[in-house]
This record gives sequence, structure tokens and C-alpha cells, in this order.
Amino acid sequence: MSSSSRNDGLRIQGLTISYAEGAPALGPASLHIPEHGIYTLIGPSGCGKSTLLRAVAGLLPGFVGDITYNGQSVHGRKALIGLVPQSYGLLPWKTVAANLRTALAVILPGRKRKEEREARISRWLEAMDIADLAGRYPLSLSGGQQQRVAVARAFALLPEIMLLDEPFSALDAMTRETLQRLFLENWRTRPVTALFVTHDVEEAILLGEKIVVMAPGGRRELDIIDNPVFSLKHEDKRSSAEFFEQTKRIRKVMREQW
Amino acid sequence: MVKTTRYHYILRILLVFLGINAVWYAAALLIDMPILPRPSAVYESLLRLGYAEMWLNVGYSLYRVFAGMLLALALGLLIGLLMGRSAFWNRLLDPVVYLTYPVPKIALLPVVMLFFGLGEVSKILMIVLILIFQIIISVRDGVKAIPGTAYEVLSSIGATALHKFWHVTLPGALAVILSTIRISLGTAISVLFFTEIYGTEHGMGFFIMDAWQRLDYPGMYAGILLFSLVGFILFLLVDALDGIFMKWRRY
Repeated sequence: MSSSSRNDGLRIQGLTISYAEGAPALGPASLHIPEHGIYTLIGPSGCGKSTLLRAVAGLLPGFVGDITYNGQSVHGRKALIGLVPQSYGLLPWKTVAANLRTALAVILPGRKRKEEREARISRWLEAMDIADLAGRYPLSLSGGQQQRVAVARAFALLPEIMLLDEPFSALDAMTRETLQRLFLENWRTRPVTALFVTHDVEEAILLGEKIVVMAPGGRRELDIIDNPVFSLKHEDKRSSAEFFEQTKRIRKVMREQW
Repeated sequence: MVKTTRYHYILRILLVFLGINAVWYAAALLIDMPILPRPSAVYESLLRLGYAEMWLNVGYSLYRVFAGMLLALALGLLIGLLMGRSAFWNRLLDPVVYLTYPVPKIALLPVVMLFFGLGEVSKILMIVLILIFQIIISVRDGVKAIPGTAYEVLSSIGATALHKFWHVTLPGALAVILSTIRISLGTAISVLFFTEIYGTEHGMGFFIMDAWQRLDYPGMYAGILLFSLVGFILFLLVDALDGIFMKWRRY
């Protein structure tokens, strides 16, 4: 392994996914996210955004192409993946804390590491402002609260790669904005290579260092667009001139593609 | 607030109990025949029973219900999990369950007696037959209803199949079992009565039919009351388990 590939980040090369019948579903797609970079992936529903994410997460066994993290295949389980699904993926019969514990027990097994597990649980519940919900059950929580739990769980794993699949799309506008801010704050305190899938142009601009635009059917090369808005202070983003410029630009790319 | 509603609930149950006794008393006065003794006579006979005899009969009935329930749970859980997790087993077993589910299981009582004799085996087996199909179906549907994303989060960090089974599949299956038991418990107790009519000298079914044959009507009613009490206690037990394990659903 060369020294350059050691901090290479997430590299997807020639990723092609076919349906069981052999018809192409996606690709070939290539994408490179540098280590500790956060990219947003935007595209119309059914274009294969989630499929691409699932392939990176190792949930799709049948695909052609290479997915590597720092030069090594992500499916050698060397790179830890924090997944935040749209439907939260919480176990309803476990409390908030126990949901985090179940995931942490996979990567920190054994009795000796109990303290570390518990420390991470309280640290990240605190970070997502839900420490007071630790003993509650998911069905008693609002959608926004449940998604906070799912995000806290992903952060608590201290993953190398974080994959978010339209995590805030089912939430109302106010809750979504709060969670976007909270997520970004936490990401800044612990930068992790992240791919954030969304169908919301504003969200793509607010949260991505670069914005990846996917064509319907994913049968074109991905467009990767620089995003100057990302370096602004989060509170100022929405009212900035760059934000409006960027919105127009993304919409134009989308119109041409779709 | 919660305390007063519970207090009111218990009060209502007590009132209903007293009401039933009042109606019973009135009916006994009206009919005035030995086949319907007054409540006082029945309670007197209940007290005369003696603890040893009472507990022996109640104990036998409870033992049969619990043995049948545990067997049905173990088998039903296994088959339900197989069907819920594996498309192959579901395809294979679904028609079997579908075809046998509507068969009134009590009609199989003579068959079970022919094959397994008149002893404990046929009694317990009948209860298993009543419960197992309900358990299989609800476990299968419970397992299928577990969101796929719950597995995916764990799969993507490399959780073993055992870890996923222990933390996702099994609790998902258990979550539905209590409500199934609550539904089928009534039927199981009724069937228990039938099976205790033959080939045994213990159990509530035997006790009631024995008193009936001896024309000991107060004793017979005492047996019915005791049998009802057993059923009531079993329901309270399910309620208590529900309170412990189903906390997550009560919102």
C-alpha cells in the first residue's frame, strides 16, 4: 500500500449494480470523498441513491466495481460504518440507551469494555441533546427525537465512514433545521468521512462540502459540484448570496440532467 | 392519577362480582331447587374442601396448562422463526399451517386419545394443538414486521448472525407472543376441562364432573368457581408479564 492511498478516504470506482434480471440499475459510477470530507448526494427518487449507499454499507453483495477506504476494500470490515437510515432503524422494544448499547456491543464486545460503551452512550446522547430520553422507548418519541437517537448511535460507533440515507426527509421543517445544525456541529467536533443522501436541494447545499448530483437511473457519470456555502457559518448560510447562487446552479444542473 | 384509576377499576370488578352473586341469589330463591344452590351454600362447600384436596386439583390443572403452554411456545417459536426468517421454510410450511389452522382442534380429541392413550400425554398434547398454530402465525408475522433497517445498521458494522438473532429477531418474536397467549388462553382452559373428564382422578375438570355425578351440586358449583378462579389468576399472570415486558408498546 502506498503512502498516498493511506489517507485516500472513500473511493468508489466503476460501481455497477444490476437488478436480479440483469438489467442495469446503477452505474458505472465513480466518486471520491477525501478522508474527513462530507459530500451530499442528491437525485430524484428511484435514481439509485440509496442503492449506492447500501453498496458502500456492504448490504448489497452483488455489484461490480471497487469501493475502498484508505486503499483497502470497505468490506474487509476494516473500516467501521455508521449508518443512519431514513426510517431510523431503532428496535422498538429497547430503550434509547439500549439501542445504542446493542450496536456498541458489536464493536466493543466483552465485559471489560462496558465502561467505555456506557461512556460513549452518555457522551453522544448528550451531544444530540437527548440525554433525558435515555430510558424511553422509541414508540414514545417523536420522529425528530427518534432520528436524533439514530444519529447519536452512528456517532457513538466512532465510524470511519458515515452513511446517511435521507435521514431528515420525514421530519417537519423546523425539526429538520434543528437536526441539520446539530448534526453538522457534531460532525465538526468529530469529522468523519460522510456521504449524505438527500432529495432536498437546500439540505444538500447546507451540509455538503461538495454536492454530487445523480441523474435518473444513475446511468450518467456523477456531477460533482463545489460548494462555497459550506465554509460559511451555519446560521448565515440560508441568507447568504452564495446560497441563492448555489441553489440556482444546482437546479440548473438538475434540470439539464433530468 | 394512575393510582385512583386502578383503584376504581378494582372497585368496579368487585361491584360486578357482588352483582353476579346478587343475581345468582335471587335466581336461587326463585327456582328453589337443588340444581341451583344459594351462593352461601356453595361458598360453605368451598371452605369445607380442605386445602390439600383443593390444591391437588388446582395444581394438576395448572401443571397441564403450563406444560402444554411451554411445549407450544418452544415448538411454535422455533417454527415461526424459521418461517419468518427463511423464504424456503415459509413456502414449505405456509400451506400446512393454512390448511390445518381452521381445523377445530377439539375435534381431534378422540384421535389424540386413540394414539396417545388417556393419560397426561393426550391432555397436554391437546393444549399444545390449540396454542401452537396461533403462536406460529403470530411469531412469523412478528418477525416479518421487524424493520429491515434494524438489521442493516447491525449488518453494516459486522454483527454476527447470533447477535442479530439475539437482539433483533428473538425479541421481535417474543413481543407478539404475550398477546397471542392472552387470546388463546381461554380456549386452552376450555379444552383442559374436556381432557380432564376422562382418565384422571385429579384436576378441576374431574372435580366438577365428579361432583355432578355424585349429585353434590354445591360441590359442583364450588368447583366451577375454583376453575374460574384459576382462569382469572392465569389472566392476571399474563397481565403482569405484559406490564413487565411490553412497557415499550404502551404509548
